[in-house]
Amino acid sequence: MFARRFFISFPIFALVYLIQESVVNQFRIFGGGFSLFLIFTLLWSALGTPELGALTGFGAGLLMDLSQTTSGPMGQWTLIMILAGFAISYLGYGDDNFRGNPISLVVIVAIAVPITRLAYLIIGLMFGSELGSTVQILISLLASGLWTVAIVPLLMPFVTRIHSALFTEKSRG
Amino acid sequence: MRNGGDNRGRLLLISLIVTSLFLITLDLRGVQVLDGIRSGSQTVISPFQSAGAKIFRPVGNFFSDVTQLGRTRGEIEKLKAENEKLRQNLINRKNADSELAELKSVLDLAGTARYKVVNAKVISLGSTSSFTQTITIDAGTDEGVRENMTVITGLGLVGVVKISYSNSALVQLASDPAFRVGARVAGTQQIGIVSGQGTSKGVLQLLDNKTTLKVGDVILARGSQDNRPFVPGVPIGEVTSVDNAAGAVTQTADVKLFANFSTLSVVAVVVGSPKSDPRDALVPKAPIPEPIPTVTVYATPSGSPKP
Repeated sequence: MFARRFFISFPIFALVYLIQESVVNQFRIFGGGFSLFLIFTLLWSALGTPELGALTGFGAGLLMDLSQTTSGPMGQWTLIMILAGFAISYLGYGDDNFRGNPISLVVIVAIAVPITRLAYLIIGLMFGSELGSTVQILISLLASGLWTVAIVPLLMPFVTRIHSALFTEKSRG
Repeated sequence: MRNGGDNRGRLLLISLIVTSLFLITLDLRGVQVLDGIRSGSQTVISPFQSAGAKIFRPVGNFFSDVTQLGRTRGEIEKLKAENEKLRQNLINRKNADSELAELKSVLDLAGTARYKVVNAKVISLGSTSSFTQTITIDAGTDEGVRENMTVITGLGLVGVVKISYSNSALVQLASDPAFRVGARVAGTQQIGIVSGQGTSKGVLQLLDNKTTLKVGDVILARGSQDNRPFVPGVPIGEVTSVDNAAGAVTQTADVKLFANFSTLSVVAVVVGSPKSDPRDALVPKAPIPEPIPTVTVYATPSGSPKP
């Protein structure tokens, strides 16, 4: 049952991924812009159990690794997203006050996005990626956090409704 | 998971992590299957990217203009005076005109150097989530575009083709932190290496410590063996500041890259180049100062009044 519900969510992620690659990537905006897919995945993970968070991170990470703009080896985003998905869902698991509060979700996702990107950068350095301008990286990380604060409230109504429609019984159990 | 499912959760987490590490190992060992999967996914996505570029690029250009308010103030004032329909037409027309102008300038540059080029439209700007600077173009192996080919605009070097698919290609921009290009200084012919910094500026490191750089020096691509990845003579940028630190082994300088990476819409991939090096033929011409009209007034004194 759990697996079936998980796989039902795949087309949703595929659609968001397609929007990210074909629409969001058309815009060159302040601080390098935002990753709708990353924000969506972390928000989705934050609403589920740690198991679901890790699985969601795995699937989303695989899709991110498939993106041609990814510089690292296949599996790098997968690894980061498994840990990020697990961590963000573990933080609020079992605490309905936390999950029921939209501000908590905005804050946790806005913190998680730059940390996830920073983790990707650090692991990329270990694999021999180039660092570039430190100032540019700091601006990009800061901007991604700010963009997340703006984007999450817009996404939240859709994500929470779809998520609860798919996983309500699991969450109550 | 905490209610009796701890072991199952841990096992799942460990399994997923091991799977991802397995994928990384396979990729680092160069297993072709993974490249095939990436290539296949890009083939599926590129039609959507093309459609997205057609629909959303004018909007993207609008956002780009907004972020550069200082530079486009006059244009915005003009747009304010027009009604909504005309404004939309203008944005669409402006988009087409700028692409035409870019195409003309890139053909001028390619024509001067006698490069054989394939023109391409930018269909996607790479996500910066991975701290890389890339673009996707709508020309691929079907049009003769191969990996390690130079990509230019009318202003100069844009980057190099990293991956070529059947109908699209991924271009690493010169601003990418991992980008390196052998360069020479126009005129003095001193050689060095320009590296991207993630911004519109690069850093030039000369290989010879006897050289003296000065602000305004134009930097050109030195060219690679068999002209791949870089054809010789392509303008890269202009020296904006020189680091004259005492005791430095070699001289370094900041280079303002000629290409404007935030407004790229049409580029050209150099698929063939002449046997002869164009040398300094592609160095941008200095702007000719417009003559300021002057008026000379000759005052002729009238005869002094008689007492």
